[in-house]
Amino acid sequence: MKTSWWRSRQTSWRLLAGLVVSSGLSLGVSAQTAAPAAAAPAAATKAAAPEAAPAATTAPAPPAGSTAQPGWNVPPKWSDVELKPQYASVPGREMNVLLEDKGQWWRTVRNGPVTFYGGILMLVVPALLLAFFAVKGPFKLHSAPSGRLIERFNSAERMVHWTMALSFVALAVSGLILLFGKYLLLPVFGASVFAWTAQVMKAVHNFIGPLFIFSLAAFFFLYVRDNFFKSHDFIWLSKFGGLLSDKEIPSGRFNGGEKVWFWLSIVVLGIVISASGLILLFPNWDSTRELMAEANLVHGVIAILFMAASLAHIYMGTIGTQGAYQGMREGYVDETWAKEHHEMWYNDVRAGKAVQKPVGAAQPAAGDD
Amino acid sequence: MARMKFICDAERCIECNGCATACKNEHEVPWGVNRRRLITVNDGKPGERSMSVACMHCSDAPCMAVCPVDCFYKTEEGVVLHDKDLCIGCGYCFYACPFGAPQFPQAGAFGLRGKMDKCTFCAGGPEENHSKAEFTKYGRNRIAEGKLPACAEMCSTKALLAGDGAVIESIYKTRVQRRGKGDEIWGWAMAYKRGDALASGVKS
Repeated sequence: MKTSWWRSRQTSWRLLAGLVVSSGLSLGVSAQTAAPAAAAPAAATKAAAPEAAPAATTAPAPPAGSTAQPGWNVPPKWSDVELKPQYASVPGREMNVLLEDKGQWWRTVRNGPVTFYGGILMLVVPALLLAFFAVKGPFKLHSAPSGRLIERFNSAERMVHWTMALSFVALAVSGLILLFGKYLLLPVFGASVFAWTAQVMKAVHNFIGPLFIFSLAAFFFLYVRDNFFKSHDFIWLSKFGGLLSDKEIPSGRFNGGEKVWFWLSIVVLGIVISASGLILLFPNWDSTRELMAEANLVHGVIAILFMAASLAHIYMGTIGTQGAYQGMREGYVDETWAKEHHEMWYNDVRAGKAVQKPVGAAQPAAGDD
Repeated sequence: MARMKFICDAERCIECNGCATACKNEHEVPWGVNRRRLITVNDGKPGERSMSVACMHCSDAPCMAVCPVDCFYKTEEGVVLHDKDLCIGCGYCFYACPFGAPQFPQAGAFGLRGKMDKCTFCAGGPEENHSKAEFTKYGRNRIAEGKLPACAEMCSTKALLAGDGAVIESIYKTRVQRRGKGDEIWGWAMAYKRGDALASGVKS
């Protein structure tokens, strides 16, 4: 067995060697004299098919003084081949690409404008909100609370809102640490503690991310019904909700500003941030490095815009408007609050046209209007 | 102090994969991690050349710049190394690297990235030289033994050169003069001569 294997190996080697020598000879002969047997078929095909000839003539010419044969054995111009997929025996995405030049662009944009202007925005927005609070103070009720309550958000609505809100905060904090922690926390914490923190934050970001996406989808279906734009919303928006005149413009269950927040942030930013996040979350999808770098930039920019917008929303929902936080926390608002901030909705509730109903002391009052 | 660099002479490389094999053997690199790999351009066509690619230990290393935990450091000889105890496996160095050097062993479901692994120029890591921890995490520290990287030492045609940049560059230039072709050292423009053009006005 062993000898026969070895013999067959030897024969094939000999055959191979013979082939190499003979083809080498025939090449040499054909190049020199273009006469005998081996070269004849080549010459014949050349004559028969002249369109095959340009392949040889378009081969790159060797540089002056080169000993290379024209068209053969000329080193490639690396810039022509380094970015394109070539051959690699190692399997794996892009293992056969010599050079990926987009990473450098990603690096300059991420470490440059995204970090710099993003950081500025993350400082300017809270500063503006605090300044607004200092000047204007919270939006207070003009009349005394009636003591009668109206249901504003049912338990499903509140649960989904808070799931989304808490996961958003977890994602925002962990994301900010991954982007700015190197500059702000690393010098304070030291390398090991900060690396441990970042490791935890990465895990938080990876595991809370999908929860945020699910809550985003649930939120959309629960809240979309009352978020379609009506004509009065445009009046509300054109007058900034009455911010300048101190007389609040009537609105439905959600005012124009809340509807803009819903469609622009929850829907548009939410979809973009989820899609880009999923690309980054699953390395096993075998995305290209270019796609992941682009997804990372989109994710970062959108996240910063989302956080800036959410700061405004959080301000309006907590310290900015008296009674608003109670509505989302307990699910009930005072009738006076409803009348002053969402007059049309209040009228609908009173008329029994809204899904939300008055509760408690307000219920027998249904007959007194 | 010498500035350590790699050159792969494409006029000599025969794509034997000896460098990649030497690397895997020397460092006992886990399956699926390729610190060095071979790429053949114009495969089967005139002008076919092979190139051995690994971390080039860039002067202005993009991996160092984007790492969110700053786990990279540079030795006095210009070798770019990293601390696996700090690495969080985010993959940013992988996005940034032009050579595809950073590798990630899978650490969990959905392709979760483990600690990054890459060519160390056979210079180990931050652990004590020749310690067991250093070998497990980064492989053998041949530089501390006074040796050059295993890939270049193993290269059968001396296509892969590793060592002091000035020395290997002069060896390469002598070869170019003799043969009259292949004068471009592939990868050097990207790794060492990128200059400040790209990073102008932008801090790291």
